Amino acid sequence: MILQGDDSVGEFYSVALTNNYQQADTGTKMIHNGRNTKSTIISKGISVGKAHNTYRGLVQVGPNAENAHNYSQCDSLLLGDECGAHTFPYIDVRTPNCRVEHEASTSRIGEEQLFYLAQRGISEEDAVSIIVNGFCKRVFRELPMEFAVEAQKLMEVSLEGAVG
Amino acid sequence: MSLLSVKDLHVSVAGNRILNGLELELEAGQVHALMGPNGSGKSTLALLLAGHPAYKVEKGSVSYQGRDLLDMAADERAREGVFLSFQYPVEIPGVSTGYFLKAAVNAGRRHRGEDELDAMDFLDIAREQLKLVGMDEAFLHRSLNEGFSGGEKKRCEIFQMAMLEPRLAILDETDSGLDVDALKAVGSGVNALRTPERGMLIITHYQRLLDYIVPDRTHVIMGGRIVRSGDAELAREVEQRGYGWLEEAAAASAA
Repeated sequence: MILQGDDSVGEFYSVALTNNYQQADTGTKMIHNGRNTKSTIISKGISVGKAHNTYRGLVQVGPNAENAHNYSQCDSLLLGDECGAHTFPYIDVRTPNCRVEHEASTSRIGEEQLFYLAQRGISEEDAVSIIVNGFCKRVFRELPMEFAVEAQKLMEVSLEGAVG
Repeated sequence: MSLLSVKDLHVSVAGNRILNGLELELEAGQVHALMGPNGSGKSTLALLLAGHPAYKVEKGSVSYQGRDLLDMAADERAREGVFLSFQYPVEIPGVSTGYFLKAAVNAGRRHRGEDELDAMDFLDIAREQLKLVGMDEAFLHRSLNEGFSGGEKKRCEIFQMAMLEPRLAILDETDSGLDVDALKAVGSGVNALRTPERGMLIITHYQRLLDYIVPDRTHVIMGGRIVRSGDAELAREVEQRGYGWLEEAAAASAA
């Protein structure tokens, strides 16, 4: 995404799920060229089984992009102990007067979370789906209603057989 | 037939024996208090009854409504009406309390062959039950247990209990870390849920929760077995005299 004009705005939201032996390497480029440009990147990665998920992104702030502002957030969720999550946030800044923020987290669906949901009568498959959808909420809530419902369904199908 | 019947139960976790021949009978309609010092096996019993995978039964049996409880998975036990109010409820980020609870309530209803509640019906019932523990509706929109204070977590557990209408409720140190107001809210919430069909096992260190919830029976657990059972008076005696005298009495009777 190239933010060429002054005051232009860019947003990138993504959810990537890898299962079995899949390896995904996804991300985006935000090129700030104009002044007062703003961008947001929210990336959620879920790794299941023996899969590896990589976020690779570039935030570039050109010499003329005075007062540019980027906020990036990359969260990874692991399900199982043989999968992996990797984050490569490249940042290339050529003007001193700008703000580039990056946050990242990695968490695991824990036995205690699954037990808590099971104790309330929720099956393991539903529990995983509830936890994963909660994890993706920040992205799904940006989607139009119909599409968000589709995205949740797709997630459920992709997670089938992920546990047990 | 007892609602819950525990016989000669020996349980270990990570290779350590925690329960050593525990016996317990709980009738429907009764509230039993289980008291004991740290490490005596109180929470182990609670988590084992709820089906936590880390606890292994070495010997003994547990029957619930005449069925072998140990043969059922944790989620099946819950749908059959076993509820545990957790000592340390876990946080589930991004999952609202209302969404989670609706899924839980409907899992139980499907299991019993009842129609699932839609969002409106669920909300009507939830509003009513929230009053029981003195919380407002905004609670339903917050991520489950995330950023909740100690008191809010425990009120939330009792709220969930009210919504799920269990047959057997186990309250694991629901009073720990509560201020007086939260303690009262929890106490009156629990009292409102005392019914002739429901049995409750209230696990606690201290007698103070039992000022609000007067138990039908009190048991003292030490070293993984019940060493003394009595009425509500026993809880007061423990409060005054501590556990030492019971240990001596148990040692004397064992000898």
